[in-house]
Amino acid sequence: MLSLKAVVAGYGGGDVLQGVDIEIAEGSVSCIVGPNGAGKSTVLRAISGLLNPRLGEITLEGKRINGHAPSEILTMGIAQVPQSNGLFPNITVKENVLMGAYLRRRDRAFLKRRYAELEEFFPVLTERGGDKAGNLSGGQRRMVEFARSLMMEPKIVMLDEPSLGLDPKALKMVHESVNRMIERGRTVLMVEQNVRFGLRLADHGIVMESGRVLLDGKADDVLNNPEMAALYFGGSVKEPAPEAPPVRA
Amino acid sequence: MLSAPAAAWSSWTPPEWVSSRRLRYGLIGAAALFIAAYPLLSDDRYYQNMIILSLVFAIGATGLNIITGYGGYVSLGQGAFIGLGGYTAAILSTKVGGNPFVWVPVAGVVAGLFAAALGVIAMRARGHTFVILTIVFLFLLQIVAINWRELTNGTAGLTMPLPRWSPDIANWPFYYALLGLLVVSIAMSWWIRRTKFGMGLVSIREDEDKAETVGINTPVYKILGFVASTVFVGMAGAVYGYYLSFVDPLGMFNILLSVQIILSVLLGGRGTLWGPVLGAFIVEPLNEFANNSLGGGNARLLVFGGLMALVVLFMPRGIVPAISEFLERRRTRGRAGLVGERLGAPIELKEREVPTAPAAVSGQTLLEVKNVAKRFGGLRAVDSCGFAVPEGSITALIGPNGSGKTTLFNLIDGTMPLDSGEVWFDGRRIDRQRPWNRAHAGVGRTFQITRLFKEMTVLENVVAPIREFRLRQLNADAVSGPEAERAEELLEFVGMLKYRDVPASALSYGQQKLVELAQVLMLDPKLILLDEPAGGINPTLIERMGDMIRELNSRGKTFLIVEHNMPFVLGLCDPVRVLGRGKLMAQGTPEEVQRDPRVLDAYLGDDFAVEPQVVEA
Repeated sequence: MLSLKAVVAGYGGGDVLQGVDIEIAEGSVSCIVGPNGAGKSTVLRAISGLLNPRLGEITLEGKRINGHAPSEILTMGIAQVPQSNGLFPNITVKENVLMGAYLRRRDRAFLKRRYAELEEFFPVLTERGGDKAGNLSGGQRRMVEFARSLMMEPKIVMLDEPSLGLDPKALKMVHESVNRMIERGRTVLMVEQNVRFGLRLADHGIVMESGRVLLDGKADDVLNNPEMAALYFGGSVKEPAPEAPPVRA
Repeated sequence: MLSAPAAAWSSWTPPEWVSSRRLRYGLIGAAALFIAAYPLLSDDRYYQNMIILSLVFAIGATGLNIITGYGGYVSLGQGAFIGLGGYTAAILSTKVGGNPFVWVPVAGVVAGLFAAALGVIAMRARGHTFVILTIVFLFLLQIVAINWRELTNGTAGLTMPLPRWSPDIANWPFYYALLGLLVVSIAMSWWIRRTKFGMGLVSIREDEDKAETVGINTPVYKILGFVASTVFVGMAGAVYGYYLSFVDPLGMFNILLSVQIILSVLLGGRGTLWGPVLGAFIVEPLNEFANNSLGGGNARLLVFGGLMALVVLFMPRGIVPAISEFLERRRTRGRAGLVGERLGAPIELKEREVPTAPAAVSGQTLLEVKNVAKRFGGLRAVDSCGFAVPEGSITALIGPNGSGKTTLFNLIDGTMPLDSGEVWFDGRRIDRQRPWNRAHAGVGRTFQITRLFKEMTVLENVVAPIREFRLRQLNADAVSGPEAERAEELLEFVGMLKYRDVPASALSYGQQKLVELAQVLMLDPKLILLDEPAGGINPTLIERMGDMIRELNSRGKTFLIVEHNMPFVLGLCDPVRVLGRGKLMAQGTPEEVQRDPRVLDAYLGDDFAVEPQVVEA
């Protein structure tokens, strides 16, 4: 569905991505892991158009998307939830969510229908819709960010460290809602430092290092790869964070 | 498809000499030589006049660059110091006597004194409020100059005696006096940039609150910076006034002088040494051109406005940075950028001898928070909260999102004032002290969302903290030998040494966290507050961070750590304090806290105990 071929991209001090090939299948959940500064977030930036690759090609369902503006890529069906604190704290939860469909802001009927659908999906919207987003707890904020990214009915949702800064209870909430997104048939691509949280959610695991893909395979295989475990997943701290019960089993 | 020349240009890689020092200094030297020799070569008064005015603006812009470019405070009152200088020379030479040139140093002192007075008042404000205060200052001086007739002769202005030297060299004294002042101004700007003083100003520009928490006494830096940015401008104003041989309130306190100075700084490149000078020598000739060839009147306003729009659109950081960025981008194209490498590589995971014995816990309390409260509007973020951190301990502070942990950190390090309660550190009450004093006393702190000084390099970030304040220190090299060595040691400690010369903004989130840890260690604090140190960090590095914290602890550092990664917290910390809704909800050993039903309910979740969290050593 989404494919990156030999993508080379950087911010001006040289190339961060040095020839990245990734294939994302429809309906899959992919998780990119790897050391700090390996280029994981840069992959997401290249896909969403915030960073234009210098070489290589990114295609969505066979159509080339690199070189397009971020708003066009969003319209084509790729939405990104940024690393953290992406909400506008001084407007309401509902207004924040509706901002997700800013490109279709004139289409009142569409906004109404989508918001109603999302309310069903995320109960927090019904409970706290009229409150200012700044007054929500960390887990609730993340839910609202998810809802906002789903407003445009994207084909692919990209999550940049969804577990960051969340307390154990909130982590479970996030886990469940990602699971529900998957059940609804969304394709998800995420970046996680909380390796076990990410790879347990995913079916497709990608390990990046030095701007290249080091290992690409089934999430379980990646998680249990002894070399990867020794290098990146931590040897002695067995559980980097409390696990939510494995819902998808 | 691109045409052939366009294609050749887009693939052009600059040869080595284009970005070499030799070329840069060659160009600057040639320009300086030309300006210095111009009056000898040509008698054209029109161009001499243009260069004289450009010199005045270049001095103004070089000065303004210190407070605006380095310090980040935009002042629209810079033109007022030209006026102050002009009036000082005019008043003293007409009332006291003597050649106005004699009074030039006095004009500098007067400008500096006014700047200090304005600084004491205006430096309490930030952003737009500061800008408006500087405009008020300018208009206030104009009103005084209009109305204090005995001193200033009101709107009629003051006329100084015409120079008595030969008309053949009529412009020379002014020309060379201004050129000399410009050289001194640039030298001062260069000196400031390479000392602790300049580095403090840059950190204030990048993040003033953060600068305070790493021990920078911001009011002193800002006021001295403001004085430094005006002294030579006042002197230039005196020369300029004598050159015109006439000063009046409308000419000398015209806000357009300030606008033109700001435009020069922005066009050339704020925060660079040569940018403001270059900007002044572009803007002033354009101004003359607009006056003479575009019909005069307000044509120059259109030129200024248009130029401003072009700068904002195409070169938001100015000419000099735009050129060097372009060359850098072209030069590094195709090279490997900064990417994280295999953590198992021998350098990064060098085996360290980790002393396992914990620090001798003296049994004394290092930090005590007593009955502290903080509200935001109707929200009680922290509400009659109290707990103690024993000396030599690694204490954890846990609690749900929004329970007030980060706010409590802000109250302890002084980033926010508290509403009520007391904070005691090392036997002294610190809750009324300013953040830098708390940093000097030994409180160090990292932030949840990292707050590095983005435009500084990693090494500069680590050496930026100041352990104690002494005036002498302002003159010290920004990055000096022993300090740099210590900083490199710390960077190696966190595995970031190979990034030492990279701007902090180029690092990923996790890398910034590690650099921030090295930065706070540079303060050599007794107590280190860490706000989610493991968030966004690779699991292997989290382990290493745990080892690092134990090692530092065994060398006598006390820690207070906010963190959600429970295995990390429970394996590392003892005791644990639990916050809930701004209050202390529970405290005790990790074992006690894990079993506490209130903690399970509010924070860990009911099923936490079902799967016992085994932490292997």
